[in-house]
Amino acid sequence: MADITLTVNGAARTGSPEARKTLADFLRDDLDLTGTHVGCEHGVCGACTVIVDGRAVRSCLMLAVQAAGSEVTTVEGLAPDGELGPLQQAMWDSHSFQCGFCTPGFVMQATAFLSGHPDAGEQEIREALSGNICRCTGYQSIIDGVLLAAERNREVRP
Amino acid sequence: MKLPPFAYEAPTTVAEAVDLLVEHGDEASVLAGGQSLIPLLALRLARPAVLIDINGIGELSGVSADNGQVAIGAVTREYVAEESSAIADAVPLLAAALPLIGHEAIRSRGTIGGSLAHADPAAELPAVARALDAEFVVRGPSGERVIQAAEWFEGYLTTSRQPDELLTEVRFPAAKPGTGSSFEEVTRRHGDFAMVGLATSLVLSGGVISEARLAFAGVSDVPVRATAAEDLLAGERPSAELFDEAARRATEDLDPPADLHGSSDYRKSVAAAVVRRGLRAAADNATRGSN
Amino acid sequence: MTAIAAERYTGASIKRSEDPRILTGAGRYVDDIKLPGMLHAAFVRSPMAHARVLSVDVSEARALPGVVAVLTGAELEAMTIPGPDALMALMGWAGPMPQFTLLATDKVRLVGDPVAVVVAESRYLAEDGCELVEVEYEDLPPVVDAAFALDPGSPPLFANLGDNIARLHSRSEFGDVAATFAGADRVMDFRIDVHRHQNVPMEGRGCVASWDTDAGVLTMHAATQSVHVTKIAVAMRLGLDQDKVRVLAGDIGGSFGLKIGASREELAVAAASRAVGRPVKWVEDRGENLTASGQAREESFDVRAAVSDDGDLLGLDVKMVVDTGAYPGMGAMVPDIVSAMFPGPYQLAALGFESTAVTTNKATYVAYRGPWASETFVRERVLNLVAADLGLDPVEIRLRNVALRTDPPAMMITGRPLVGVTTKESLERVAELVDLPAFRRRQEQARAQGRYLGIGVATFIEAAPGPRAPGGPSGPMGLESMRLRLEEDGIVALFTGQMPHGQSHQTTLAQIAADEFGVPFSQVRVVIGDSDVVPFGLTGGSRSATMTGGVALHGARQLKAKVLDFAAHLMEASAQDLLISDGNVWVRGDPASAIPVSEIAGRAAAGSFGDDVDAVLQVEATFDGGEGGWSGGTHCAIVEIDAETGIVKVERYVAVEDCGALINPAVVEGQIRGGIAQGIGAVLLERSAYAEDGSFQSATFMDYLMPTACDVPRIEIEHLETVPLDADVNFRGVGEGGMIVAPPTVVNAIEDALSPFGVRIYEQHLPPARILELITGAR
Repeated sequence: MADITLTVNGAARTGSPEARKTLADFLRDDLDLTGTHVGCEHGVCGACTVIVDGRAVRSCLMLAVQAAGSEVTTVEGLAPDGELGPLQQAMWDSHSFQCGFCTPGFVMQATAFLSGHPDAGEQEIREALSGNICRCTGYQSIIDGVLLAAERNREVRP
Repeated sequence: MKLPPFAYEAPTTVAEAVDLLVEHGDEASVLAGGQSLIPLLALRLARPAVLIDINGIGELSGVSADNGQVAIGAVTREYVAEESSAIADAVPLLAAALPLIGHEAIRSRGTIGGSLAHADPAAELPAVARALDAEFVVRGPSGERVIQAAEWFEGYLTTSRQPDELLTEVRFPAAKPGTGSSFEEVTRRHGDFAMVGLATSLVLSGGVISEARLAFAGVSDVPVRATAAEDLLAGERPSAELFDEAARRATEDLDPPADLHGSSDYRKSVAAAVVRRGLRAAADNATRGSN
Repeated sequence: MTAIAAERYTGASIKRSEDPRILTGAGRYVDDIKLPGMLHAAFVRSPMAHARVLSVDVSEARALPGVVAVLTGAELEAMTIPGPDALMALMGWAGPMPQFTLLATDKVRLVGDPVAVVVAESRYLAEDGCELVEVEYEDLPPVVDAAFALDPGSPPLFANLGDNIARLHSRSEFGDVAATFAGADRVMDFRIDVHRHQNVPMEGRGCVASWDTDAGVLTMHAATQSVHVTKIAVAMRLGLDQDKVRVLAGDIGGSFGLKIGASREELAVAAASRAVGRPVKWVEDRGENLTASGQAREESFDVRAAVSDDGDLLGLDVKMVVDTGAYPGMGAMVPDIVSAMFPGPYQLAALGFESTAVTTNKATYVAYRGPWASETFVRERVLNLVAADLGLDPVEIRLRNVALRTDPPAMMITGRPLVGVTTKESLERVAELVDLPAFRRRQEQARAQGRYLGIGVATFIEAAPGPRAPGGPSGPMGLESMRLRLEEDGIVALFTGQMPHGQSHQTTLAQIAADEFGVPFSQVRVVIGDSDVVPFGLTGGSRSATMTGGVALHGARQLKAKVLDFAAHLMEASAQDLLISDGNVWVRGDPASAIPVSEIAGRAAAGSFGDDVDAVLQVEATFDGGEGGWSGGTHCAIVEIDAETGIVKVERYVAVEDCGALINPAVVEGQIRGGIAQGIGAVLLERSAYAEDGSFQSATFMDYLMPTACDVPRIEIEHLETVPLDADVNFRGVGEGGMIVAPPTVVNAIEDALSPFGVRIYEQHLPPARILELITGAR
């Protein structure tokens, strides 16, 4: 075990995880950030998606020690305490989710995708989110939330 | 599905990494992007005593183009390769295949070298490397050697890299003028591994195919060059009849594996369709002058 | 002073009160729970499908640093009370009762059968400990299909049963079967199979069991569809009085029928917590969920159809075999519902129905969203197969056979009235929406280009909760209860045994209560998930819209009457002259008289009143479902098939459905779309696959393929709202319908697309390789 330091949601955090501990488990167990969910532990369902150094990654496929020195954003860090960011607000308005277990992964993947593709259309968004599995919604309401967020972002842009 | 215990090393130079490989041999696994290795660890199908994490070796990252080649450091992330204009310009087949690898989040971490060292025969990059006769640069205790793609892929998830060697770089030849490429695959869902895939690179000059390179994914325990089809195509003008015959020759001796997703007969039958479609697309690309 | 006008929440897509926490990662699922001193459990699981257990050596595992306890099946048996499956006991199962131990002791009966539990400081260490447990097995021949299970020569899974029959063969007849078949123009025979697939919620099963040694109380943090049913199951198995078990549940990541009662693993974890005197957490990983949590739908049907040359479906004679897997679940009970529902919304004159259920060395059959769904699949396939034979259009044959809405309503031959069923209207509307003639022209043009488009239609009804039975409550599980209380701070609290896991009850029930009581939506709180606090209830069976919506509506009225009686005393007015709206009580015609509800509540709590004043502002309401009713409708899918690869794309999907009045349209539509996605998944992607030796082949998401955003199209939904059946409560359930009718809808479309090849389809799972087989004529 070695001490690691990383920035999580803007704050410096430290820990001493075993090398074999995944980033997902480290966030949830050691840092008490249980917003990131574990759905499969083999990199297929996307529920564990977080943003590391600007890129969406599957935190179940990273060792915590590999995130040392990195900037990590989890779903808890998208907006100040108790508030909703624009994507979250759009998803609320669109009734995007039901049981909520897949939600943090979708929110993080969509956040990363929209920041690189602000004008993406429906088919592109579907493909970008096709690595996140939802069992409840049939996806349409999630896509609508992302489209709404993108539209609102465009209205706000100068 | 928690990972089993292992000793963890994070070398910062290639020399350090090689020393560790010499010390631990086949008791060690090399960790690059982790997108293939970590699931195996989580399923406890892989049990290395030592994990050598090479992500900290800066010299292993980067794309450079010269001498008619594009050299890609083994730890270059797939998304970096996807965004590389050097690759888009000079290795269009690789550029065509990269977006098909899994999903964006996989490509955030997955590496060019890692995918090729893992050598899943249903993956896109091994077929691309085989089609283009890529070169694999490995470093071992006695120095560096270069392995040709035809010799690199030995069997299912097995390469000719020795346990004391590290893959440091992969070199792809720059495409000749008149090249048209395509990566055609049949997947159950968007982003899945190919049930059957085909990397195709054609060079057309004066409307005639001067060079044809076809390599399959998913039809064997290694990527497979369709040499009989390549021989047929060379010197001919593209046509539907030609591509039909090429599809027949490319597939008649195939004996693809069967699994939950498809029988051997299914893969063989689909392979023919994939050849026809792949050739059409590559020929169109060449004719359009795009790539 | 705010405007005095009642806001109308019911019927609007009010934003969910669940979402702020869900969207910000503040949801609280069972794996998020951390208790002081908590340990983690992992299970040693059998790699064999069928074997005797000769020995279990846990000594090395116990010695591993970080491992606190290892309990074998035998040790757990000594510390628990053997008994039947709690859910089956609750549902009154009277059939064969296999004897088995909580964890495997003398034998294992499926790959993944739990043999021992390791309790350690972390899940990582618990799994390490599992690897050190040495189990000696003696292989037994596996029973992996129903045909072998039915063979008296197959090795019995359960010694006390002596064979592998989970439900004895039975036959019932409705109408004059013999005469109907004798008088028919033609009798057609089909064998139709539905494959094994499963619930796969994104959150698996799990719990944190916490034994309080001093109080002798077991607190179970659960992921469950009913805190009370879980409590009963845990109390029974641990030999505790029910008031010594408390079950708490927070957010639940889906279930679809999986998480009811307590599984063998959860009961073992509860016993383990008591044994070690510390909280123990177990959350199954995806491998466990796919392998051992339970599977569904593996049923086969031999069907004879008595048909007229004009396309009347006169009678059906059905033989059903259900593969219930290795341990008792509700699989053996499914044939009863299947037979009751078989006629669907059609005028069937006669039905013969036989069934048998078998045990096999595969995962236990569990309830999966519309467990009886195969009746719709088989019936809707048969209609198309008959239509194809007679040269009739699929919509035409359905319109010919559908029961019309009459007064009194038509009766299903199996005894239930088809009251308020608008199948005919939904069929006609779907035909309009998809413009069938235009599609047929497009289909023909496409075929000329070597492209294969197809259209499929299917209808369904679901008992949501079902029509009123004479003298009894609507729907299963009897009366629905709710406690409603006006809290001191003016919040209207609804205490319900409902346990939403995606159904949005905290929003929908609040909508109803807010409207009926007269407060803003934000002034209603729905309290769930504590067996010490909420009345009995269970979320399932597509009944909560009616049953719980109804008890919320009537309960809110009752509470309001009570509050007004009290307020009348305070305001020195007559209760009949008082109104509540927008959170204020006021005298009709005198807006200045308005007093906030919160003030009324505060004064009731703080003051002391004589015996003639009831200041306890709480009611215990029950509801029997009113007139109840059916939900149902018609779905239509348009597919395109790549005939060279067998890949099927669902191009368009239309659903015209009728669930009566909608509480929250967005919630209703979400439920429908989610069910349809599961149906598409079942047909194109999902299969729980076993090899001939009983080894399980789809234990990861690389092999059990889930539908993604690229597999499910935009789903167009139109609502019909039947003429109200009840004066007040006309909401009916929609939870299961999508999953029931989507499989035949999609399969019908596939068969239509492949009709140039002369394909007929008698199965539900159609991956690309199978499509190619069908095209090339191999069977």
